[in-house]
Amino acid sequence: MTELVTNKINPNVIPHLHIWGWDVAIYLFLGGIAGGLLIISAAMILLQKGGIFSPEEQTAEYSRQIQVASLLAPVLLGVGMFFLFLDLEFKMHVWRFYTNFNLTSPMSWGSWALLIFFPFSVFQAIVVCQFSQIPRFLFLASWESTLKPYLNKIAAVNVHVGMGIGVYTGILLSTYYARPLWSNTVLGFVFLLSGLSSAAALLLLIAPSREKQLYSKIDMYIIAAEGFATTLFILGGITGTENMKNAMLYLIAGPYAPWFWILFVLAGLIIPLVLETLEAIGKIRFSPFVPLLVLIGSISLRFIIVYAGQEIPTFS
Amino acid sequence: MSRKRNYAMVIDTHVCVGCSACVYACKAENEVPEGFCRDWIEQKVEGHFPKLTMEIRSNRCQHCEEAPCVTYCPTGSSHYAGDGTVQIDRNWCTGCKACLAACPYDARYVHPEGFVDKCSFCQHRLKQGLQPACVTTCPTSALKLVDLNSNDGLYRQLIEGRTVTQDKVPAGTQPKLFWLH
Repeated sequence: MTELVTNKINPNVIPHLHIWGWDVAIYLFLGGIAGGLLIISAAMILLQKGGIFSPEEQTAEYSRQIQVASLLAPVLLGVGMFFLFLDLEFKMHVWRFYTNFNLTSPMSWGSWALLIFFPFSVFQAIVVCQFSQIPRFLFLASWESTLKPYLNKIAAVNVHVGMGIGVYTGILLSTYYARPLWSNTVLGFVFLLSGLSSAAALLLLIAPSREKQLYSKIDMYIIAAEGFATTLFILGGITGTENMKNAMLYLIAGPYAPWFWILFVLAGLIIPLVLETLEAIGKIRFSPFVPLLVLIGSISLRFIIVYAGQEIPTFS
Repeated sequence: MSRKRNYAMVIDTHVCVGCSACVYACKAENEVPEGFCRDWIEQKVEGHFPKLTMEIRSNRCQHCEEAPCVTYCPTGSSHYAGDGTVQIDRNWCTGCKACLAACPYDARYVHPEGFVDKCSFCQHRLKQGLQPACVTTCPTSALKLVDLNSNDGLYRQLIEGRTVTQDKVPAGTQPKLFWLH
């Protein structure tokens, strides 16, 4: 028998750590989906797939999905950063992130990486969305014509910037070795793939019916990879030290288990994967139900990991 | 040229009675807000009746040699002060709470005024040549501040013939609180 009594009273850490709440979970979701949208749109541009697939839509050079993805990437990340700002305890000192660079601090890397994300993703949006055709945004015409010859180069940078932001949302948690559930290097890949699949799901949702199959297939491949990454995440935990094993068991067999298995694994991975595979081989018709499930699974994953990771004791 | 200090704390669990005087001395000295603490008492009972052992220890920030809070602080607010202690510069703290997540000892809390706070080994008192408030107050002299770089032999004298343990060594932080058993 071991009985531990303490008069420690700090409410942030007793009885367990609860420092990051819904606002950080929302940021991780929005950051992941923004990264994913940027990767997919930039990759489409590079693969010369950004153009419309059918000649009926002659209004724009790029398909609506690429335009929406390019525009939403910086917008969603901006909204996500607002949620991060909400989490800060000393909001007046937010500028301090940019008066220092700490090589060993992932949060420092992340805050500088966000500064790279914005100009390049906005450059891509300006060219792809063709704002200058709208009278109100005529002032962007000179920007558009200046940047247009460099679109491929901008897109090439954006693929990596998007990857960086997507992985970073996981790294932010996975470097804290004092929190054994988070302290799993595969988490970065799980979050990157989850962000990518929710971006593909969002594009699938808005794509015209003749282009749905493309995005459904993209989403299918990513979810398959995400399933493997999640498996590695779980294996890495339960084959780890006592500390990490207990933390992983808390997630997969503890109070968060129903949420994890039903909302994330079943609704967010298995059902969409099966339905998208059936869609890909033409057995069933496309349904908005599938991308919605992917998005629900993706946001649940962030909430479950953020909350469950804080409830497990540190090194004993 | 002044010698570089390396402060650490030696805590005798055989002498500590768990009276919490260190906790209240700290609260008074450092104006710790109500509902928070920089140091605390842990009372651990192990075994089965009648073979029970009890250990009482006063705990606080470990002022680690390899402090994860310093590693993960994005702004450089948490820093090594050069005298073996880890300190927080309130003017640089954004309250991002990376250090709270990073600390294996859960030694930190968010001050209601927005910055993160923790034990400083009473740095303001050390600068005046005084001992930390908890050390001065301890009625059984269970707490001792030592300078590991000093030649005074105090640390060696205290640990002579005793079993010395540190908390959460596998975390790799090289903590500088030493418990005597």
